[in-house]
Amino acid sequence: MNLDTTQPMPSQQRSLTSTFFFGLLGLILFSSANSTAYAQTEITGTVYDAETLETLPGVNILIKGTARGTSTDPEGNFRVTLQEGETILVFSFLGFETLEVDVTGRTEIEVQLRTVIGTLDEMVVVGYGVVKKRDVTGAIGRVSSEELDNVTSLNVEQSLQGKVSGVQITSVSGAPGAAAAVRIRGVGTFNDSSPIYVVDGVILNDISFLNSADIESMEILKDASATAIYGSRGANGVVLVQTKSGSGIVGEPRVQFSTETGIQQIERTIDLLNGREYAIIANEIRSGSYNNVDAVPNTDWQDLVFDTAPIQNHQLSVSGGSERGDYYVSVGYFQQEGIIEKSSYERLTIKLNNTYKLNKKIKIGNNLTIAPYKQQIAPNATFAVYRAQPLLEPFYDDGSFGVVYNVGNPLADIEYSNNENSGTRLVGNVFADAIIRNDFLLRSSFGVDASLNRARNFTPAFTVFNPDGTASQQNNDFSDIFKRESFNYNWLWENTLSYIKEFDKHSINAVGGLSMQQTRSEFLQLSGQNVIRDGEDFWYVNSSYIIDEANGINNLQANTNGVNDANYFNMISFLGRVVYTYNQKYVATLTYRADGSSKFAKENRWGYFPSVAFAWNIDQEKFMESISGISNLKVRTSWGIIGNEKIEYLRRFSGVNSDILAVLGFPDTPYNAATYGRSGNPDLQWESTTQMDVGMEIGFMENNLTMEIDYYNRTTSDILIDLTTPGHLGNGQGQRITFNAAEVQNKGIEFNVEWQDRVGEMAYSVNLLGNTIHNEVQTIGGNSGIDSVLVGGFLANGQSVTRSVVGRPIGAFFGYKTDGIFQNQAELDAYPHLSQAGVGDLRFVDVNGDGILNGEDRTFIGSPIPDFVYGFNLDLYYKNFDVSIGLQGQIGNEIFNGKNVVRPDPYNFEQHVWDRWTGEGTSNSEPRATYGGYNFLPSDRFIHDGSFLRLRSIIIGYQLPTSVKSRLKLQDARFYVKANNLFTITKYTGYTPEIGSQSVIANGIDTGIYPIARVISFGFNTSF
Amino acid sequence: MKRFFSVLFLTAIFLGCEGFLDVNPQGELTQESFPVSASDALLATNWVYSTLRVWNYHTGGFPFLEFLSDDGAKGSNPNDGVDQAPYDNFTHATTQDGLDRWWNTLYLGIRRANVVIENVPLIQMDEDLRARYVAEAKFLRASFYFDLVRGFGGVPIVTTTNPPIKLARATSQEVYELIETDLLDAIDVLPVKSAYATEDIGRATKGGAQALLAKVYLFQNDFENAEDYALAVITSNEYDLESNFYHANGPEGEQGVESVFEIGAAADRTAGNQYANTQGVRGTPNRGWGFNRPTIDLRNAFEDGDPREQATIIELGDVIDDITILGDGPTPDVTMDEEGNVIEIESYNRKVWYPGNNTNTQFGHNRRLIRYADVLLMAAEALNENDQPGQALVYLNLVRERARQGDPGILPDITETDKDLLRDIIIQERRVELAMEGHRFWDLVRTGKAPEVLGPLGFIEGKHELLPVPQSEIDLSQGSLEQNPMW
Repeated sequence: MNLDTTQPMPSQQRSLTSTFFFGLLGLILFSSANSTAYAQTEITGTVYDAETLETLPGVNILIKGTARGTSTDPEGNFRVTLQEGETILVFSFLGFETLEVDVTGRTEIEVQLRTVIGTLDEMVVVGYGVVKKRDVTGAIGRVSSEELDNVTSLNVEQSLQGKVSGVQITSVSGAPGAAAAVRIRGVGTFNDSSPIYVVDGVILNDISFLNSADIESMEILKDASATAIYGSRGANGVVLVQTKSGSGIVGEPRVQFSTETGIQQIERTIDLLNGREYAIIANEIRSGSYNNVDAVPNTDWQDLVFDTAPIQNHQLSVSGGSERGDYYVSVGYFQQEGIIEKSSYERLTIKLNNTYKLNKKIKIGNNLTIAPYKQQIAPNATFAVYRAQPLLEPFYDDGSFGVVYNVGNPLADIEYSNNENSGTRLVGNVFADAIIRNDFLLRSSFGVDASLNRARNFTPAFTVFNPDGTASQQNNDFSDIFKRESFNYNWLWENTLSYIKEFDKHSINAVGGLSMQQTRSEFLQLSGQNVIRDGEDFWYVNSSYIIDEANGINNLQANTNGVNDANYFNMISFLGRVVYTYNQKYVATLTYRADGSSKFAKENRWGYFPSVAFAWNIDQEKFMESISGISNLKVRTSWGIIGNEKIEYLRRFSGVNSDILAVLGFPDTPYNAATYGRSGNPDLQWESTTQMDVGMEIGFMENNLTMEIDYYNRTTSDILIDLTTPGHLGNGQGQRITFNAAEVQNKGIEFNVEWQDRVGEMAYSVNLLGNTIHNEVQTIGGNSGIDSVLVGGFLANGQSVTRSVVGRPIGAFFGYKTDGIFQNQAELDAYPHLSQAGVGDLRFVDVNGDGILNGEDRTFIGSPIPDFVYGFNLDLYYKNFDVSIGLQGQIGNEIFNGKNVVRPDPYNFEQHVWDRWTGEGTSNSEPRATYGGYNFLPSDRFIHDGSFLRLRSIIIGYQLPTSVKSRLKLQDARFYVKANNLFTITKYTGYTPEIGSQSVIANGIDTGIYPIARVISFGFNTSF
Repeated sequence: MKRFFSVLFLTAIFLGCEGFLDVNPQGELTQESFPVSASDALLATNWVYSTLRVWNYHTGGFPFLEFLSDDGAKGSNPNDGVDQAPYDNFTHATTQDGLDRWWNTLYLGIRRANVVIENVPLIQMDEDLRARYVAEAKFLRASFYFDLVRGFGGVPIVTTTNPPIKLARATSQEVYELIETDLLDAIDVLPVKSAYATEDIGRATKGGAQALLAKVYLFQNDFENAEDYALAVITSNEYDLESNFYHANGPEGEQGVESVFEIGAAADRTAGNQYANTQGVRGTPNRGWGFNRPTIDLRNAFEDGDPREQATIIELGDVIDDITILGDGPTPDVTMDEEGNVIEIESYNRKVWYPGNNTNTQFGHNRRLIRYADVLLMAAEALNENDQPGQALVYLNLVRERARQGDPGILPDITETDKDLLRDIIIQERRVELAMEGHRFWDLVRTGKAPEVLGPLGFIEGKHELLPVPQSEIDLSQGSLEQNPMW
């Protein structure tokens, strides 16, 4: 957002070909081509680079307020015809600042364009207002709308990967519609560590409803100076999103259209044994399992289950404005099939942003998104694919599903799955702005976030048979129907008064306000069994059709289970911020927010969140004038306290349990009973984070080279954690009470270096960013005794593989350390070992050296938190071509290959079993082959280096020549090809080294996630 | 300008910050609003009883009091429940499995009783019923504290639903005083057993409270009071012995004439009691886990021909309800020591047998906490101590007579009147009559016979009379709980 100049032209919009949309486009073009007018003026001129004074070819020239324009020829000359009343030309060129020139009364002009440098008068969006970039004291990362299109995905945050230092985005699953885990500056709590999102002023927990094409800019607020204005919600960072508007477009409307279609495929498969190899290993484990290993079938389950799948994204928007206001209307459609059948996501977005200027002082408006969506969720086939024995055939000769022992036939799982989510989300606000006495701006905004979601899951009765015709374990005796309807409704009313004033050498930018919010959610669910017909028309929990076949009776009461639950909480906040700048050199920001939340008991429901920050624009000092080369230099520091109120606040209430539990009378009869349940903790409060930040911004050579570096240190205390309490409180064995009793520290350095330049006709920018994370638990409960450890990362077999303890990172991996293989009996006898260990098995280290090997010898064997997260981005423009490359990676984290550990039955193996121990000296790392048991106890054998480097995106675009565009009356017309996740360099053997989790104590454990796909797509975008 | 500020401010005040921030949880009852009605009072009282069916209520799930005695061994498969094995030879530690579960669950019951005792008196309802609910809760609270004081000695006393987090141990004397007060209050109010309607049978009775109080006095060697309350039960004419000894613990005698207080349980997992499943026959038929194995010593304790031996021990090959007991494959049928002496025989507790051939039905056993035979023997013991051996023998012989089952050739009447000898005879009679029912270890400790009888098994005088306070509780108390002597 730039208040000093009118809206810069969007330099890039993306999309793609589709015959239908092309046809539509053609129609619109022809209709607009008819407009002609009378009085005309012809202007000619030349455009130069302000620095080199060389002429610039290919510069776009637009007649302001129209869709008409031209571009400069190879000599930098242009010629354009103005209609009556048209006076302003807008010059834009990639890599240069956009310039508007008033040509009233002129016929010939010379124009000089300046290379883009982050101008210091540029305005930066901050919470509840805008501040001049020069006056910013906080650490704020910014992503422009162009960068948001680099990844084809439902969720915009996927595009932030590797784009902002200090922000780690990790996919939790590759399933269509799956949200990513977003962590800003490490992991600050054991609980919900996600940031909040503020879309046009409405505070939200996720932005899956947003179409990236509707976004103007995103700012990531990282330090306390930036986030303290969000008080008890700012501790995990804040993502500000501004959506597009029609402001700055005067006259004829601007139409933008973009379309993109692509295909997705699995990026890489896991190297598993084939049928023959499996048979050989099976014979080794139990001789005679397969008589002829050359005759066994070979089924590549991965090939059967993972398919290529289409993805498409289209958008059409119309925006415009006048003195009376402006509008932005868009329709978007996103559709993604998963690479596993029966998973998909489909979303329509309708965006309406309007403002109406009632008079010179008062403006009203709205920002509104309506997003209906539909999601299909596939069963967890990944796990079954990994486990299924390769010598079993997917189908019998008669075409029915073949049995897959122990795991079930994944193809049958998919076939019989009908799991769907659909709904509509509506997010938006209406607002009124009033300017009072020129310096004050009063704004009142009423925002709403409402959604209705319906989940439906139907599984028909089915049986997969064994070869002998008996029923296998994979069957469902009675069909099941499950329904859940949930409704969420939040409103947020915010009133702020801003004051911006400059006088003499002083500048003040202040805001104060009052905010109220209510959040309500409710769901109702029902389930039934044995639906009368399998068809979709009967997927209802309808009493007359829920039949108990065995007894021939209607059995609704026995077969339906209803649950109804609701939640709601309210919040009132007072907020204020003053930014004071003296002589453009010294800046101080004071921020304060008081939040009152119904989540907490009366005595401690108010929380107070202050922040102070200073910045010094050293480049404005006199002594800097003599230092050439440094074009910008700023140091800043901030301190503040912010909170995290996304906690399980119901734990504050002491509940009452009710059940049929007392058995009395003769004969023994169960009676209803009720009593106090688990004790709540009325003293529960939000978690509070104290954050310190020191940063420096520096620009060299007219800001061709810019650098930003920050040191951050944030300590979250009062983290909610469940603790055991003394028995005499009467909560019963194993019951815990929630306390604000843990503390975690995150500290590190983040940097962002950017170089941009032009070489002849090529403009380019290179950007390297990264951050280090040092995460350390400072306190857990009492720090000693039975609650000094937070156990997490439970696998399907009940084993837990993470421990969070003081002095270690959150969710550190825990298990046995291995030290080779027992090569012979003498070696086995000589070392302490578990009773199950034999020759050829792993040798676990007696860590505590007590001569006995037991659970006490398990130790810390890795951390899921990377030491360093980085991104590398290259943008290049040459003539009509543009290339954009985004690399992203992390270093120093470990992955626990959990899917390889849980083996209660004979499953397929990863290829490494081939290097197994088969006799003394054959291997000292891969133990003898076994189906499960001892060698699969959680140990460092399953710890893998999680470092990776991924080519996240590569885009090659071609802008149609100006001559063609002007003939077609197009302002912008670009074709492109794009690839996401083209390759990943990693030592990890799974589908992806990116193993995220919403739970911070179960992070980095690969339990068989839905693979993240490679996407290759083509697109076209245009505007006129 | 001022106008705008005041508008802003007035809005805030108008909407009432505090009122806006008072939000109750939805669809969920909180403790501030329960119990407040007559039906709440009944629900709350009922839930105190359900504590008795919590698996951990039974000494943390495993009958380790029997393992500690000379009657029962850990049993089950040698590889199962290894954490319980140390109780068999007194090598159990402060961190031993089960201690914390038992401690926590007894206090869980106390809290549930406190919910009633603290809140029900404030409810507007039928006064008699209200008083009865409170008295039922006091009876149960007394029984929970009695387990605590017998097991651990003086423990923190909690008589409110909101005790402080740090609480020191009271003396055992103080705990006993609370138990006596509760039981005396209960005796005043509770109806006799026959006054309850069929659907309420199983609730605490006057007789139950008197019997428990007699036992409480016996544990303090207050034989006069023990005599009074035991005799009060006997003279109430509310109870008698089952004619068939099997019925005393079996399904036929559930809530029957001999039952003074028992735990109702239905033959399924939700409304059943896992107490019996834990001890049920392991293997074939598959009724349970097979813990609490009768010892060779217990077998030898029965007089020749005493039918109670067969009614106490299930042997392999027995046929019960047409089901042949084959037992567990991996469990050795007979275990011998190095010298070839038989030290253990695969066998099971007959007293928890419940008809059926699966695990679910085994949950239907109603554990008898106090039965009339126990009261008769308590009376006999107290009378003997109070120098009335003649009267003592009457009650002792009533028990032997029933055990005899009409066979005049066995279990002759006792005629001994020497106080010391008769005491031993009564304790011996308690052992065989009440075997495997959880009384033996306490009887040995309270009569001072434990060092002599259990010494060979590892019992150390001055230490093993009490269990250690669970180490987890010591840790959590951050110094406010002291460990028992010698632990």
